[in-house]
Amino acid sequence: MRTCPYCAEQNREGVLFCEECGQPFIGVQAIMATSQLVNEDQVSLRGRVKWGTARFDRRAAVVVHVRDAREPLTLIPKDEIVLGRSDIHSPVVPDVDMAPYGAAEQGVSRRHAVIRRGEDTLTLIDLGSTNGTHLNGQRLIPHQPRVLRDGDEIRMGKLVFHIFFKE
Amino acid sequence: MSTEALRNLYAILGVPAEATQDDIREAYRIAARRFHPDANSNEGAEHQFRDIASAYEVLGNSQRRYAYDEERRTAGSEPAYFSLRVTPSKRVLGTLDEPQVLYLLLEIAPLRELTKQQKREVPLNLTLVLDRSKSMKGIRLDKLKIAAHQIIESLSAEDRLALVSFSDRAEVLIPAAPVIDTIALRAQVNLMRADGGTEIFHGLQAGIDECRKHLSDRFVNHVVLLTDGRTFGDEERALELANQAAAEGVGISAMGIGEEWNDEFLDALASCTGGTSTYVTSPTAVVRFLNERVRSLGDTLVERLKLCVAPDADIVLESLFKLQPNPQPMDTSPQPVPLGLLEFNRTLMCLVQLQMPPGKRTGFRTVARIDVTGNVLIAERRDYKVLSDISVEIASNPPPEDPPLPILDALGKLTLYRIQEKAQQSLQKGNAAEATRRLENLATRLLASGQDELAQMAIIEARRVASTSLLSEEGRKTLKFGTRRLLSQPDPQDPGS
Repeated sequence: MRTCPYCAEQNREGVLFCEECGQPFIGVQAIMATSQLVNEDQVSLRGRVKWGTARFDRRAAVVVHVRDAREPLTLIPKDEIVLGRSDIHSPVVPDVDMAPYGAAEQGVSRRHAVIRRGEDTLTLIDLGSTNGTHLNGQRLIPHQPRVLRDGDEIRMGKLVFHIFFKE
Repeated sequence: MSTEALRNLYAILGVPAEATQDDIREAYRIAARRFHPDANSNEGAEHQFRDIASAYEVLGNSQRRYAYDEERRTAGSEPAYFSLRVTPSKRVLGTLDEPQVLYLLLEIAPLRELTKQQKREVPLNLTLVLDRSKSMKGIRLDKLKIAAHQIIESLSAEDRLALVSFSDRAEVLIPAAPVIDTIALRAQVNLMRADGGTEIFHGLQAGIDECRKHLSDRFVNHVVLLTDGRTFGDEERALELANQAAAEGVGISAMGIGEEWNDEFLDALASCTGGTSTYVTSPTAVVRFLNERVRSLGDTLVERLKLCVAPDADIVLESLFKLQPNPQPMDTSPQPVPLGLLEFNRTLMCLVQLQMPPGKRTGFRTVARIDVTGNVLIAERRDYKVLSDISVEIASNPPPEDPPLPILDALGKLTLYRIQEKAQQSLQKGNAAEATRRLENLATRLLASGQDELAQMAIIEARRVASTSLLSEEGRKTLKFGTRRLLSQPDPQDPGS
């Protein structure tokens, strides 16, 4: 059971909005707030709502599209993809180097986050970065994996990009 | 091709076409254990079991299976007409020693290739059943006539149209026929005079009789009923009639205007035939709503769409709601549930609420088997079926997972509709304090989602209930249909508010 923080009603596990007062439970509100931008584009597709699947085929590729960048990056599939920025003072180079997108000014850490490939999902894990990683507007708890969906928005520091699955 | 060869029996049993007889027997045994009526008391289980048993009758017998394979091979593969996609609110559930709720979003989508094809107009077999009781006098009847005129102009000789007007008795103003002489038909519409009381049964009966005259798979067969009144004592007979009409393939859409009409009755009437029900406040809106309804009928790809949801024996089907088009709560019994029409370019969405049992077992488990059947008009294909078997994983410590946005979006709005419903239930129990609190909660949530006008209405009604223990008819209907209509708006920010 979950107790609603607003009206103290007992709700069953799995309920997303309190059945008595309609308040969204923790987490739900944040997801909805950031969804509106995405939804606006989708409304134009004759009202058909579309969202990403969380199912990730092991053979599929991951495409990263940094906001305002001209070309998206297609990543070679591997079990762990480290996102960060290269630095002349450090020998470590991440798998996806955000340095060309002004990563340093936008507060991206050298080893910022990692995309890990599971059986048929991808998860995103913040590597304890200085300025944090946000998934669809929600800040990740460092070192705690979250499932990625096709089309998700990721923000590292102030750098925003989208993840797409490519079969 | 025989009707048997058209069914994909392998899909029904969930085995590949190259399965051995042993595989097939094993698949049947598992499926039968899930859905045999003795083992599973859920309403949809029996329907699924019959399907599975009849598939096994053929595939389980190697000779009949061979004949079936041959027939399918010579017939070639059939194109797909629509698809069913099911998304659960969670893919991995935690083990719990208490029940938990799982939502499924169903999307029934016409296939892209079909929507790209040049649209073929589907001919309509349409009957308008229009209220001409005394209370319709004046602007309501005038607008109704305008709407009827526009509908006549939008139809052609391919279509069939009938018009029945009713008060305490029914008259067939336009007998069902191709729409040729539009001027004469329009003149008939003008004969409507407002007089007498409202008795829906007679009007509906005459209307369904007219629609029956041209009943055919080639047409979209539909009765559109418009009333502003409350019918007394003949509800049950009218519902019986509607059920019978549904069985024959006639859909019914109901439209209420003003404050008097019996919304529960019209809801029941429309939902038992897969039709829709709408509330129109202003007479001018009648014209738009009627036209919109007729236009969407003309966009029909699949008619007599039916949904069967069969949860596993230990899972409870709690509710079913059609989200779009035409949001509406659906009865989960009897199954299969009529969903009405599937349009060329619109996905039909439903939200299913299930209760999962408590338990400690981990691993993948089946949740429910869902199928959708319908008659594809452009191909004159009856009972085309798509099927989906849903599984989730149960784990002792599942990774955090965000529910898919469309589920959140729909559920957020659906919750508002439910609170409004609950407020009315409290009132019926005579608990005005509870009803007031619920209406206040509703107002709070409506304000938060930018629905200022509806929120205002909820506040006024909350005050009214607090002091008089009564809701106004107008307020009750506005809140009910207002919260329901939120679901058809993809964006919560209403441009008008």
